[in-house]
Amino acid sequence: MVDLLIGIFLATLITALFTTRLYRLLMWYSLNSLSLGLLALLLGRSQHDGAMVASGVITLLLKAGAIPWILKRLSQRFALERRIVPNIRIQYAIMLVPAILVFTFYLAEPISHMVSGNANDVAISISSLFLALLLMMEHRNIAPKIVGFLAMENALFLLGTTATGGMPMLVELGIFFDLLMAIVVINLLLRREEVRR
Amino acid sequence: MSLYLLTILLLLLIAPLLLGTIKALKMWLLFKRPLSPLQGYRDAAKLLRKETVLSEEASVVTRIGPFLVLAPLLIVLFFLPPAARGAWYVSFVDAFTLTGLMALSTFFLMLLGLDGASSFGGIGASREAFIAALAEPAMVLTIFAVSMMAGDLGVGQAGANLARSFPTNHMASFLFAGISFFLLLLAENGRIPVDNPETHLELTMVHEAMILELGGVPLALVETAAAVKFVIFASLFASLFLPFGADLAWPLALALFVGKLFLVALVVALVEVHTAKLRLFKVPNLLGIAIVFAFLSLITFYVLGA
Amino acid sequence: MMIALLSLPALAMFVASFLHTPRARRFLPLSSVAILIPVAMLFFHPKPWRLWGDYLVADDLDSYVLLVASVVGIGVTLALLTLGRHVEIGEAAYRRFYRFFALFWIGLIVSILANHMGIYWIGLEMATLSTVYMIKTHHSAAAHREAWNYMIVGAIAISLVLFGIILIYASAKPVLGEKAMLFDALLAQAHAIPSPFLFEMGFALATMGMFVKMGFFPMNLWLANIERASYYPVAALFSGILESAVILGFFRFSTVARAVNEPHLVGFVFVYTLLTIFVVAFLIYRAKDFMRLFSLSGIEHMALIALFWVGGGTFAALLHFGAHAFLKPALFLSTGVLESRGRYHIAGALRGYRGFRGRLFVFLVGLFLLAIVSLPPSPMFFSELYGFGAMVDAAESSHHLLAMIGATLLLLILLSVIFYRFVAIYQSMRYEGEAEERPVYAAELAALALFAAGLLLLITPTAMEFLRRIV
Repeated sequence: MVDLLIGIFLATLITALFTTRLYRLLMWYSLNSLSLGLLALLLGRSQHDGAMVASGVITLLLKAGAIPWILKRLSQRFALERRIVPNIRIQYAIMLVPAILVFTFYLAEPISHMVSGNANDVAISISSLFLALLLMMEHRNIAPKIVGFLAMENALFLLGTTATGGMPMLVELGIFFDLLMAIVVINLLLRREEVRR
Repeated sequence: MSLYLLTILLLLLIAPLLLGTIKALKMWLLFKRPLSPLQGYRDAAKLLRKETVLSEEASVVTRIGPFLVLAPLLIVLFFLPPAARGAWYVSFVDAFTLTGLMALSTFFLMLLGLDGASSFGGIGASREAFIAALAEPAMVLTIFAVSMMAGDLGVGQAGANLARSFPTNHMASFLFAGISFFLLLLAENGRIPVDNPETHLELTMVHEAMILELGGVPLALVETAAAVKFVIFASLFASLFLPFGADLAWPLALALFVGKLFLVALVVALVEVHTAKLRLFKVPNLLGIAIVFAFLSLITFYVLGA
Repeated sequence: MMIALLSLPALAMFVASFLHTPRARRFLPLSSVAILIPVAMLFFHPKPWRLWGDYLVADDLDSYVLLVASVVGIGVTLALLTLGRHVEIGEAAYRRFYRFFALFWIGLIVSILANHMGIYWIGLEMATLSTVYMIKTHHSAAAHREAWNYMIVGAIAISLVLFGIILIYASAKPVLGEKAMLFDALLAQAHAIPSPFLFEMGFALATMGMFVKMGFFPMNLWLANIERASYYPVAALFSGILESAVILGFFRFSTVARAVNEPHLVGFVFVYTLLTIFVVAFLIYRAKDFMRLFSLSGIEHMALIALFWVGGGTFAALLHFGAHAFLKPALFLSTGVLESRGRYHIAGALRGYRGFRGRLFVFLVGLFLLAIVSLPPSPMFFSELYGFGAMVDAAESSHHLLAMIGATLLLLILLSVIFYRFVAIYQSMRYEGEAEERPVYAAELAALALFAAGLLLLITPTAMEFLRRIV
């Protein structure tokens, strides 16, 4: 079941790379966070780790529910363009994404032998990090850059969970707090967007 | 052996029923009075009685084309994984052969479209080539990935292995291959995100455009070929990705198998109702996702063992 | 309790930012000076002092960096009083600026005192996010674009640091358990880490993230453009306080990395910093306005600090760091005055000042400009001497003496390019161009005087003794 959820995590991220509609992008991000939260809940329950269950619940509420809704409201308020224009053409993206996957799996090979958790999960979280980076750089609009940043945080959370069996609770709380602050700053930053696009 | 032949006969017989079910479901979901699912048989019977009119520019290709469109698909029917435990099956046919045979059928369909010298045929053939160019590699990769996970390169043997023991530690790869295969099912059978099987408008035709010139017996043959193609894909999906229940008693196993086929038809109908047809130049986006997922499935299995 | 005392000035600023009376802000510099009391207490308390369990621990290095950052904070608070007279800024934006400055200060105090890698990261991220808005306070299209640029690249850099932290934690967790997040525990058990490759990978990633934040290769112009597009106090805060926290993080990570595998550390950091200094030296040669010039020079000095620290001259690195953290904010604050007649008026920028304030300003700025290129008796002069000496000393015992001497020669050539350019700029400021009157206000002059006093204190023997004892 854990493998399935991690598979869904990566699947939603890759689909988010190819989508061209803003609301769809937010939906894929929400599904991504949903699978992450469910994964944290499952792992926490099986390892009797209350901290991980708590962070799973917070992930579900915040990242799968509140943040996509807030982003949708922001995009409506600032009338962001809903069509997402890719910078690299689809033909090259089809070749680039598998190339990144192979490259990161190759990079993650030596690491996965040294880590206590499941090797595949570590490799998938590292490749999710790179794919989130690609999402940030690939499109011209603002929204994919924001979602890419959020997806990077998701990938780091997954890495922390699978590679180390959960980061200390304080760090998790701090990361959530910083994410919230990032949303506030994004709101303030967008205040000029209405003039530009 | 008798179970094997029975399965093939069954699949052949319910092929029009499946397509009819999809159509009826769509109409019901859209609050229209649904067509009877048996309409496919009635259409075939009607077409067999009609006379054939060929265009002046038609050559021998139009006369033998329809047979050549149906024949490879009928051959593929013989190579599918077994539906019930104990049935005989062909174990050595791999992904390349399957894809190649289906591509042969598509090739003759394209020739058929071009041969009538009508512009619609030309449009349909070029669009079909465009879509097939992206869908074929993805299909080879997907079926190859699943065969490797099941431990044997022959699709029949792979299906039998999966029915016996499903490797749950490769769930992620299976998920990716499943997503990719479903997208290919939609693409190769001309279903809504890729092609609209119900309209005859220039903007939205691919498959229909190639067979616009046909009538009578050739049309019946080509429509049957479309139905058989859908049954092939649905049965591959059912045996490779939903491989449970094959060790029941053979009547029950066969019934369960047919039930899975109808389940696939239901899902396709739901997807068709909820999605809009993509612009032709956006189809590569969708098929790009299929290719990437097929590739991802293969390397997730091979490199990581997940 | 100490934490409450330390965050008091920032809290006062936060509260004052909600008051609509501009005069309330006049007393902010006084409340900021109050931060020196807890910092002085830190100095006289036996170290290491556990301020909050294992998470915030004050040792010698911490206290020094905190003192430097606090002085910079006081200086910037002073200079902020006259921001409205040099640039156009609305009242609401001015108040928001103070609010985010307060958040920034708290985040960095937490970061500097952190012993726990996670707490360090949280403080740094909070500071990064608050600076984004401070950049945008300047309502121009360029500032808007640069604020987004900063947000994105800053987010990537911080995520790289988190990635590195996770890998380091994963590598040390089998040995230390949850304590693997603490710097002192890592240092104590560095030899026992089961997979050094994982640690080194984590260290390399975290260092790359920190270097990108400080503007090293390939992000040199990113930082220069950001500082150009924002108001001058933001640039002062960057180079004074934010870079202090980042370089402190680098100091801590590299101390552990040195215990794990020293040759790899030295090779990696040397190549990176030399490449950066190479690129930055030529960029400085071509800089045509003050802000870009100073931010590029800041990158060069940070690279030198990293180089000295890793090469064995830890005392030199700390001295250089302290001097730079006083000089660079001072120079940035003075650009508020220097650029009051337009941006690209380098020639004649130091001419035409009248009155005692004007002459004091010219004297101080001239001093700072020449001090930053390591003319004696600037602390930078001593730090570079000691630094190069320590590097060659460290290399004598290894096989790489020739490589080290080659690196030193290359560095000296690049530094001389920068030296030439700065002297040329100083002379152009003093002796060329037209004499235009530029007003100088008491508040910013007080800030400059404060920084000059700090610099003088750094050269005294007691300060140097203290720095030698650290590490």
